[in-house]
Amino acid sequence: MRTAYTISAIGHAAVLLWSVWSLAAKPLPVSNEGLPVDLVTASEFSKITAGTQSAPKADTAKPLVEKVAEAKPIEDPTAKVVEKREVKAAREPPPAPESKPAEPESDKKQAEAPPDPIADALAKDEAKKPEPKKADAKPPTPPKKPAPPAPKFDPKQVAALLDKRDSARLAAAGETLNNAPSLGLSNGAAAQLSLSELDALRARLAQLWTVPAGAKDPQELVVLIRIKLKPDGRLAAPPIVLTSGKSPLFMAARDSAIRALFRGQPYDMLKPEHYEQWKDVEITFDPRDMIRG
Amino acid sequence: MPSAAPLSIWDLFQNADLIVKLVMVGLLVASVMVWAIAIEKLFLYSRTRRAMDSFEQAFWSGQSLEELYRALASRPSHSMAALFVAAMREWKRSIEGQPRSFAGLQMRIEKVMEVTIQREIGRLERHLLVLATVGSAGPFVGLFGTVWGIMTSFRAIAGQQSTSLAVVAPGIAEALFATAIGLIAAIPATIFYNKFVSDVNKQAQRLQGFADEFSAILSRQIDERG
Repeated sequence: MRTAYTISAIGHAAVLLWSVWSLAAKPLPVSNEGLPVDLVTASEFSKITAGTQSAPKADTAKPLVEKVAEAKPIEDPTAKVVEKREVKAAREPPPAPESKPAEPESDKKQAEAPPDPIADALAKDEAKKPEPKKADAKPPTPPKKPAPPAPKFDPKQVAALLDKRDSARLAAAGETLNNAPSLGLSNGAAAQLSLSELDALRARLAQLWTVPAGAKDPQELVVLIRIKLKPDGRLAAPPIVLTSGKSPLFMAARDSAIRALFRGQPYDMLKPEHYEQWKDVEITFDPRDMIRG
Repeated sequence: MPSAAPLSIWDLFQNADLIVKLVMVGLLVASVMVWAIAIEKLFLYSRTRRAMDSFEQAFWSGQSLEELYRALASRPSHSMAALFVAAMREWKRSIEGQPRSFAGLQMRIEKVMEVTIQREIGRLERHLLVLATVGSAGPFVGLFGTVWGIMTSFRAIAGQQSTSLAVVAPGIAEALFATAIGLIAAIPATIFYNKFVSDVNKQAQRLQGFADEFSAILSRQIDERG
């Protein structure tokens, strides 16, 4: 028994010694490799410069400014510039706004204290044109209404009710004058043009999609469509409509969206090397902000 | 707090709590005992098996039982030889005594052999209980050390107001080391215990079988003489 104990003790001592010498835990290798980080500059987000869609591309974008004042975005750069926006004829003029337009007008007059040659010239231009129903551009009085006193609907006189004025707008205001508009959209605000591929796709679809007019609830017209694309930018399968609605307006919007998707192809703005990103996309056709992906 | 130096096994032991240290030392002693018993039993069983083999060879070789008894009775013997010697001694005493007592001889011989078998099995089984105990209780003792060590290291966390891994890890490593030692002691103990129990059973069956055979031989002798 004693020999057995001796053998056992010696064996344990040997194993312990060996483990003390050789089983020292090595610290885990610390990896000092940096994580790959992609720097995304602000311009890589979708931004659209202010300007007109048809203007030549300029290196430094300058928004169209015809009047030095607080910058105010213009809605339709193609419309004519007038001093004051004309109020469209309503059937019954509400009594309250009688006095209201006067105040902002006087404010504006003060703001426009420095003489603006462009605005003046434009105003003269306007004045020269003989327009039968058009109200005088200058006076602060509310525009005249062509509506007859008795609101009687006469189908034969519909033509007389039509607004025959040219579309007009206020002069674009900004910090510095600039008569040569650069490429961009009227609601863009960025100094540099940058558009992601998907944004380009959305922009094309937004041009092709016609929103049915007169919808009471625009949120009913939101159409969510999933499309699968081939690497050449064409549709790989018919678009799948993911939202449903019952109203005929929704169906019109949906059909228009599907037509827009077919008419828009090939989507050559999508680069083949990024095919994985855009081979299966969902696009939201939303009349509120026109289009959103 | 220990520095970031690599933790060797000795560091693990040295930094541990006193109770954890006691547990570790106790388990180490248990492991030494387990292996000592295992080595001793391995030798004992192989020796016993060889002795049984040689005795059976001698017994069935046709040699005279008297001669065999004379050869074996002079020196202490174990297992089968001890069984044979005990039975023969009882036989000779009954035969050579003046009033020959055949009446209860068969029963007496069987009793003597029974007692000898029990004694031999007891000798073979000695210390096996240690293996069983270490095998079943070793992991629990190690677990106790681990729980205590983790308790201590959590108290250290509370004291340092820091939960960084560098504070927690050494304590937990020490604590887990106790369970490791417990398992190191218990696993061989369990394996050896199972092996030895089956060995003892085999040898006990062999002794029992020999006892029955020898009892039959002596019974025939008694009937012939009586």
